[in-house]
Amino acid sequence: MRLFLLFFLVGILLILLQTTLLHLLPIGPIIPDLTLVLCVYLGLYHPTVGAALGSFLIGYSVDVVSSPSRVVGLNAFAMSLVFLLVYFSSRSIWLQNPLVSSIVVLFAALVKSAALVLISAFFVNLEGFWIGATWYIIQEALAAAVLAPVVFGLLKAGENYAARFRAAGQ
Amino acid sequence: MLAFVRKNQVPLSSCFCLLLSIYILTAAARGQLKNEPLGALLMWIMRPLQLASEGTVNWVKNFRDNYDTLAGFKSENERLRKRIQNLEVERQRLLEAEATNRQLKALLDFRTRLPAGAITASIIANSANSWFQSCMIDKGSSDGVRKGMAVVTPLGVVGQVVGVTPYAAKVLLLTDPNSGIDVLVQRTRSRGIVSGSLDSGTVLKYVKRSEDVQEGDRLMTSGIDGIFPKGMMVGTVIKVRKQNIGLFQFIEVLPAVQTSRIENVLVVAGDSAGKS
Repeated sequence: MRLFLLFFLVGILLILLQTTLLHLLPIGPIIPDLTLVLCVYLGLYHPTVGAALGSFLIGYSVDVVSSPSRVVGLNAFAMSLVFLLVYFSSRSIWLQNPLVSSIVVLFAALVKSAALVLISAFFVNLEGFWIGATWYIIQEALAAAVLAPVVFGLLKAGENYAARFRAAGQ
Repeated sequence: MLAFVRKNQVPLSSCFCLLLSIYILTAAARGQLKNEPLGALLMWIMRPLQLASEGTVNWVKNFRDNYDTLAGFKSENERLRKRIQNLEVERQRLLEAEATNRQLKALLDFRTRLPAGAITASIIANSANSWFQSCMIDKGSSDGVRKGMAVVTPLGVVGQVVGVTPYAAKVLLLTDPNSGIDVLVQRTRSRGIVSGSLDSGTVLKYVKRSEDVQEGDRLMTSGIDGIFPKGMMVGTVIKVRKQNIGLFQFIEVLPAVQTSRIENVLVVAGDSAGKS
């Protein structure tokens, strides 16, 4: 439960960063998709029901704070799909190298953008919008892939600290 | 069945989330998702955090803007400093032009009062040694300058042309020991000759001991020599000494024209001096 709260707080923090501080970066309109990195991390290291629900909630939170009201659910779907695919892939992926985590995040981002385009084709009549937005999504994914090793390291450190705190409490 | 669910709880819960998100998407697309509580709860959680974060962003932006402004001030300061230097040079140039303009205007005004035929010239060189007081002007015989012509300024007499080439002329200044200008004391009309000397500066010679000459008296050209126009300022008496022996007084004169400071002069034809 504590781990769930920890990741929930981390998710809120990442959404906060994406909606405020990361806009200060001198990389134009591109915002690294750190929530995607978190979903990939959960899929790789914490393949639990709570993590699946957490991925859904993270995507839904992004929809609530960012998306127009008639496309709420897009990111929730995409994050859930990313989590599921990473979960299935985690048994085949050997993660000891930070480069591998970047590659996994990059592929996850491509999956996310494909999911968004697919859903919008079926449910949302936004003609031509996603063709341009997909390029932004890919750019954001590349930025997230660059930051993935850092975020993974921080999450690992956070987990270790929480484990030590729990052990000390017991 | 339960074992299957337990074994595949993660993928099943993910599929449930996928279906749930599709339902939400469908409802939102139809406009049925207006008062859902989860979104409101999330906004309620995010709002104070976003406010605090926005404050931090604004602080960072202000800090960055202030830094950019300061950095901009530095480069602006340097730019303005260079501009000031350039403007200072320009100002000096313009002041010089203004002074030259004033001088030339005075010369022009003075020229209108002189007999016709006066030639404007600039001093281009001075004497190479201190034994002789002379200068060179940039006008010569091709411009109408002749040997013996008077050289004057609005302030007074400068000297006399003693040598001429086609494009330049040599002027013997009144402070030279070889010069001699016939003058009158303006106040008493006493006559004398102004000439230079190596030991006493400029002196007024051949003034009898009985003549009334005092310090401060102005000396004007008499016009009798036919060289200088009558009534032109030559100098001011600064010292009078009547010696115990000799026929003449010893009178020192301060020339009206500081020859070291003049740049432009007028060369006046000597044969028209008597007409003024």
